[in-house]
Amino acid sequence: MSANHALHTELPAEPEKATLEGRNKILAFWFFLGGESVLFGSLFATFIALRDKANGGPTGVELFSLPLVAAATMLLLTSSLTSVMSILAMHKKNVSQMVFWLVITALLGLGFLGLEMYEFYEYVHEGHTLRSSAFGSAFYTLVGFHGAHVAFGLLWLFALLAMTGKKGLTVVTAPKYFVFSLYWHFVDLVWVFIFTVVYLMGKVGV
Amino acid sequence: MTDTHSGANRKEEKHVPSQHSSRNHLITFGLSIILTAIAFAAVAMEQVDVKSVVPFIFLLALIQAGFQLFVWMHLDQKGHQFQRIFMAAGAFVALLTIVTFVFWIWW
Amino acid sequence: MGHSHAPKKKGLLMDYLTTVDHKKIGILYFVAGGIFFLLGGLEALLLRIQLIVPNNTFLNGATFNEIMTMHGTTMIFLAAMPLLFGLMNAVLPLQIGARDVAFPFLNSLGFWMFFFGGVLVNCSWFLGGSPDAGWTAYPPLSVSFSGFSLDFYALGLQIAGIGTLIGGINFLATIVNMRAPGMTFMRMPLFTWTSFVTSALILFAFPAVTVGLVLLSFDRLFSANFFNVANGGNEIIWQHLFWIFGHPEVYILILPAFGVISDVISTFSKKRLFGYSSMVFATVLIGFLGFMVWAHHMFTVGMGPVANALFGISTMLIAIPTGIKIFNWLFTMWGGQIRFTTANLWAVGFIPTFVIGGMTGVMLAAPAADYQYHDTYFVVAHFHYVIVGGMVFGIFSGLYYWWPKMFGRMLNETLGKWNFWFFFIGFHLTFFPQHFLGLMGMQRRIFTFFPNQGLDFGNLISTIGAFGMTIGTIIFLINIAVTNSKPKNAPADPWDGRTLEWAVPSPPPEYNFKQTPQVRGYDALWVEKMAGNKGMIPAEPLGHIHMPSGSILPFIMSVGLFIASFGLMYEKVPVAIIGALITLFCMLLRSLIDDPGYHIDPTEEKGVEA
Repeated sequence: MSANHALHTELPAEPEKATLEGRNKILAFWFFLGGESVLFGSLFATFIALRDKANGGPTGVELFSLPLVAAATMLLLTSSLTSVMSILAMHKKNVSQMVFWLVITALLGLGFLGLEMYEFYEYVHEGHTLRSSAFGSAFYTLVGFHGAHVAFGLLWLFALLAMTGKKGLTVVTAPKYFVFSLYWHFVDLVWVFIFTVVYLMGKVGV
Repeated sequence: MTDTHSGANRKEEKHVPSQHSSRNHLITFGLSIILTAIAFAAVAMEQVDVKSVVPFIFLLALIQAGFQLFVWMHLDQKGHQFQRIFMAAGAFVALLTIVTFVFWIWW
Repeated sequence: MGHSHAPKKKGLLMDYLTTVDHKKIGILYFVAGGIFFLLGGLEALLLRIQLIVPNNTFLNGATFNEIMTMHGTTMIFLAAMPLLFGLMNAVLPLQIGARDVAFPFLNSLGFWMFFFGGVLVNCSWFLGGSPDAGWTAYPPLSVSFSGFSLDFYALGLQIAGIGTLIGGINFLATIVNMRAPGMTFMRMPLFTWTSFVTSALILFAFPAVTVGLVLLSFDRLFSANFFNVANGGNEIIWQHLFWIFGHPEVYILILPAFGVISDVISTFSKKRLFGYSSMVFATVLIGFLGFMVWAHHMFTVGMGPVANALFGISTMLIAIPTGIKIFNWLFTMWGGQIRFTTANLWAVGFIPTFVIGGMTGVMLAAPAADYQYHDTYFVVAHFHYVIVGGMVFGIFSGLYYWWPKMFGRMLNETLGKWNFWFFFIGFHLTFFPQHFLGLMGMQRRIFTFFPNQGLDFGNLISTIGAFGMTIGTIIFLINIAVTNSKPKNAPADPWDGRTLEWAVPSPPPEYNFKQTPQVRGYDALWVEKMAGNKGMIPAEPLGHIHMPSGSILPFIMSVGLFIASFGLMYEKVPVAIIGALITLFCMLLRSLIDDPGYHIDPTEEKGVEA
């Protein structure tokens, strides 16, 4: 069914909250994010405890390249903005604009992942692996879990885009875009702490 | 609709969508970029000593986190009471864990 | 459209495999949790038989360690939590006047994840030996010295834990968003309040053990170094993460039981719960303080006097809100018209038993004293008093109380009393002597002990008590069988109840309430009874009710993770990938295929009260 005007003028102002199901999903997702905060908190705590245990191998100061991390940060931060733009478009009932912003978000996310995979590839060749030291284990688990969250988010986004083609924007599908957007913001939020605690503090030699 | 959903707590949202127009979001984005740039610069410059750089960039991170949560994720809006409580609780437990690992892990 | 149709009737097996109805999922939790409870109980009996006399050769050390580990792991993760989830599923939506939980599909997924996680852990018996590092699985024992078995532990509990987390989030959203009109937070029954705080504890505690299990799995499967001291790791990391989860976990276990006790005591004293506001406050405070005390499990590890003092004080503080609850229960009974039904016997038996457990908890909270108690049977006595004497008694109370609501039949009261007294006396015989065994120096987790150290008599009595508990449990099973053969004719309100679940038939129709009720006060049903009404005032007109369809996807998704775990354990990467893909594919199907559900017209249902 193609997006038609009659359907769109029926959509309320904030379609994601128009149904009980939608409100339940948004509330429950926030609860989930509360739990995820503890999950990442534990991973951060483990990293902080083990960050200087490089077991004779390369340390953060030697490994980390600030320009690379800065580029990755720009990509992810911009993708967070574009996901906001997609929700604004959704509230304006403009499906094609919403899809446009979501596609940009996906491309930026893919760029981020690409940079990260390149980064890990370089580190492995310099002798910094999951097995080489406790620092290595903690680094790859924390940053890797974040990367896995980005990857999962991209899979989710692709599924959403596929669904849009089939079902369009309704009070049933609107919460799904909104919840994805919450997830994507959270993933960027975690990254803010990762680049601060892992890379910046690591480069300073904490 | 003959659906019988119970809607005990459905208050009317007083939120006006234009409050969070694209302008606000772009400003927030710009500020985030600036904060990020400052943090990277502070570390790259290597002239500021470690003891003051670390709390500084951490503060910048907290401010950016605030932007994400309160502007882009609408945590400051009406009807987000439980969300705020539970995010605060999650942050509290996370902080507890981090403090523990800083002080009570030893070799 | 004036049609009302239910989907084609399924056979019993398919019905339960695909159900998303909270009432049926509650029964699934009871059956699975019940089976694991019997398994854990059998394991306990075997342990006690080995310890009946010194130098016994019934079990060798290695087997004892496996049975001891599985007893703890099974009882806490696979019996206690599911039985509590069973009660919460069966009762919570009814108590708040809702038709179901917020996410029926996720409710089913949570159950099947728990179920397959539990099956995975127990597969270990047949595949080379069960986990044997204690339910706490401390490294380096759990990483380097335990063979295959700990992979079953780590992966099985990880899957079951995700199921529990899903359940917790579901209950939180349900309680916040789906209460009937007029049911403010301060009009909710105590069982609902405790379920709410429990669910919040689940949300914040389980991620810590999730990370802990990930670190353990990475060390074991991928040679990571989190706990490998030689390469810079640290074993204390596990202890902190495990107990940051583990202590809230025991409050997760006890709070729903507290809720049961509050509801049961006030119903069978025919009296409003004394001090409702303080009960709510105490519940929330216990939940909060529960996160501040975990290192009391680590007093002897070497954190230092400052840490020990802080955690000792915070631990003792929890006694205060708990004491508020105990006094409020006593004051509820004071001046009430008390009926000692079996449900109430369990609730009243709970009170002194839990108080004893709490008292020994305060003793253990003093770090200096704990240096003597730690790793002795004194600790074993303490936690069995609070977990069995607290939580299990609460579960039995809840079962006898809500059995008619769930199954339409009343459990036999005579058999119930035999069940209670055998179990109660058996329990005290088992665990009271263990306080003294511990004080006399008997260590925990030992598979045998030497004669003539003063330990013989205490262990003998303890084992005799275990047989008493076994007989009590068997009587309960007989009660279930006897009850099941009787006609399904329990009244909607057999106890002259006070809360909303007694306003619907026993068992309730699929949609719970024909019309969502209007709540006018705490003890919502009692308010109507005192006003002279026969039932609840409806908050909405009669109309078609939309129900979600069942789905086989949760079952298949859990099987996918089950398969993936074997792939990880046996290092067969394709198997791991296939398992994960099965799960992911089901998630995709769920997103893309809409569930239209079906409608029920309640006026066409036969046998439903008008």
